[in-house]
Amino acid sequence: MNSKSPPPLAKLPEPTVEVRLFAALREQAGWDRRRVSLSEGATAALLWPALGLGSGALPSAVRVAVNQVFADPQRPLNPGDELAYLPPISGG
Amino acid sequence: MSWPTCRRSVVAEPDGPVNLRIDLHSQAFEPLRCLEQWQRSLSGQDHAGSAAESLFIGRVRAEAAAGGALVALELEHYPGMSEACIASLAAATADRHGATAVLVRHRIGLVLPGNAIVLVAVAADRRGPAQRCCQELLEALKHNAPFWKREWHADGSSAWITGNTAL
Repeated sequence: MNSKSPPPLAKLPEPTVEVRLFAALREQAGWDRRRVSLSEGATAALLWPALGLGSGALPSAVRVAVNQVFADPQRPLNPGDELAYLPPISGG
Repeated sequence: MSWPTCRRSVVAEPDGPVNLRIDLHSQAFEPLRCLEQWQRSLSGQDHAGSAAESLFIGRVRAEAAAGGALVALELEHYPGMSEACIASLAAATADRHGATAVLVRHRIGLVLPGNAIVLVAVAADRRGPAQRCCQELLEALKHNAPFWKREWHADGSSAWITGNTAL
């Protein structure tokens, strides 16, 4: 039997998401993108106050996109996701 | 064919069920010249038979939303998502109305009063589908494509616009 101790486990990268802000939200926050640690069950709605973007719940006027697709703010995020908070849209 | 002022041409699907042309521009463009190029392009792709075309040209007002002179309108967008949204909205709207070709040109960056900010053109077999598709697509991209407008005023101040003008 091999008495050697098993090799150390490779350190797994910390799960993160990239958060992006645009227009008025970017200017209010003072940053446009930030990589943040992802905890179990994190959602866009939960991250909003955690990032200091607002003291209360995510405002209904702010929409969320995950990986550049509109998404439900209550949807759990996955490692590597790109999360964007979108202020009221005014295109065209 | 050349599109000299085109910043990025995102979708060109001449072989698909609907011919889509989506362009974002960081420089001023001349809508009528774009239309001429688009029509010439369609002719070269066997789309010459469209009996009806509807178009909308949106230009920047010289007046700010709260009154006073507007120096410029700044258009910010979400690169990648804005192009994909316009393409998706255009394809879905064209499919719903049976349109055969759609052109969308949208400005980004600083746009001066009087300059074109958006051009939507739709080709179809009849005026009803062409007009309905054009209007519906314009409204859809105003509300569901990630663009944001900021007004720049004569005193150097600026303000983000939080909604759309009345229909």
